[in-house]
Amino acid sequence: MKDRKVVCRCEDLTEEEIIHAIELGYDDLESLKRFTGATTGPCQGKGCLMHIIRILSQKTGKSVDEIGVTTQRQPVNPVPLYILAAKKGDEK
Amino acid sequence: MIRVAIVGGGIAGLSAAYFLARKGADVSVFEQKYLLYGASGRNSGGLTAQFVNEPLIKLALRSLELYDRIQTETGFNFLLRKDGYIKIADEKNEDALKNEVDFQKKAGVNVRIVDPDFVRNLFPDINTQTFTAAAYFADGGVVFPWPVIWGLAKGCRELGVKIYDYTPVRVEVKGNEVLGVRADSELHKADYVINAAGAWSNEISRQAGIELGNRVFREEICVTESLKPYLDPYILDVSTGVYISQSMRGEIVGGILGKEAEEVSVKSSLDFLTAYARRVTELVPKLRGMSILRQWAGAYDVGRNGMPVIGTTKVKGFIQLNGFGRNGMSLALAAGEGVAELVLKGKSRIVQPFNP
Repeated sequence: MKDRKVVCRCEDLTEEEIIHAIELGYDDLESLKRFTGATTGPCQGKGCLMHIIRILSQKTGKSVDEIGVTTQRQPVNPVPLYILAAKKGDEK
Repeated sequence: MIRVAIVGGGIAGLSAAYFLARKGADVSVFEQKYLLYGASGRNSGGLTAQFVNEPLIKLALRSLELYDRIQTETGFNFLLRKDGYIKIADEKNEDALKNEVDFQKKAGVNVRIVDPDFVRNLFPDINTQTFTAAAYFADGGVVFPWPVIWGLAKGCRELGVKIYDYTPVRVEVKGNEVLGVRADSELHKADYVINAAGAWSNEISRQAGIELGNRVFREEICVTESLKPYLDPYILDVSTGVYISQSMRGEIVGGILGKEAEEVSVKSSLDFLTAYARRVTELVPKLRGMSILRQWAGAYDVGRNGMPVIGTTKVKGFIQLNGFGRNGMSLALAAGEGVAELVLKGKSRIVQPFNP
């Protein structure tokens, strides 16, 4: 068990599982994210994105710049619905 | 061997590729971004056959059968659950919903009108003051769109389909016949080119010299943090356009029916989030304290007359397979199967009504 390297706590993903997905052919960041679920859990990538990029870079030989980052989605931090319901939108 | 080039790596293009390859065609799929980019990876996965004309209902019922079959054939779990699809309506929209259900029943859809209490039995947190009637389609449900695409792609690859992602192409036509598609400088020759480019279909069609005129829409969705599974069916409020369901990961996935857009866009807005928050907290007051984790948008196209566009065109070998609107997940598997039949046998009954 000491070899189990967890890279995404939200989705409980290990380094080995990320590597397995890359070997299956999900070797670009957007596809890898969706296939493994990494960056889509409660932390929204804050804890795992850099690990995923590192592993992808090590496995494919692509530079971090070439790999890029996933689209950053609002909100930056989770916002409760009752707060949003009280706010006006961006056009008003 | 018939060579087919498919433009678009979403559910429509991959379904056509899958069924063509099963019958021995030589198929290549070209996707400008990554598989599922435009709409197939951005929707809420609602599956229904509650449509207002028979050809659409036939596509939807056939697609529901195909989901079961393709999961087995490809050995891939689509995380599909048939826990029902419910449309709810207020007093103003109640009559229209009832008329729709009468028609659907005659067309063989297992749908019925139920009262708000029936819906509350399925989902105790719903506010029954917000609607007066509901249409319950027991065979509908929710699918996770991503594994549908991964599974189709896996099935395609095992059948020898070549899938090129991050590969934009141009359709090449000579005289009145397709030559194939050009990616970078390389021409991939094909007897048939299938335009399954979703929101980008107008542009691809124009390359073949055909004005398609599909309307482009943008639709926004968001998810909350995860809850224990407790919302089984998919619920669409036809009065406000708000819909919600719960994913297998526990998130409440919700959105508002899309709006026509000037251009293809997948930008998110705060306007959506605030409008959604107001409506969904009326519908399900207990969600008030739940947090939104993430929002996004998808782009899709709707045929000129509001119907999908499927079939041959005046350019020999150029085939349309687009315009599914927000119902691609419900319709496109059967449409892909139909197009495969059209290419290999010259005609297909199920897609014939959608001939451009």
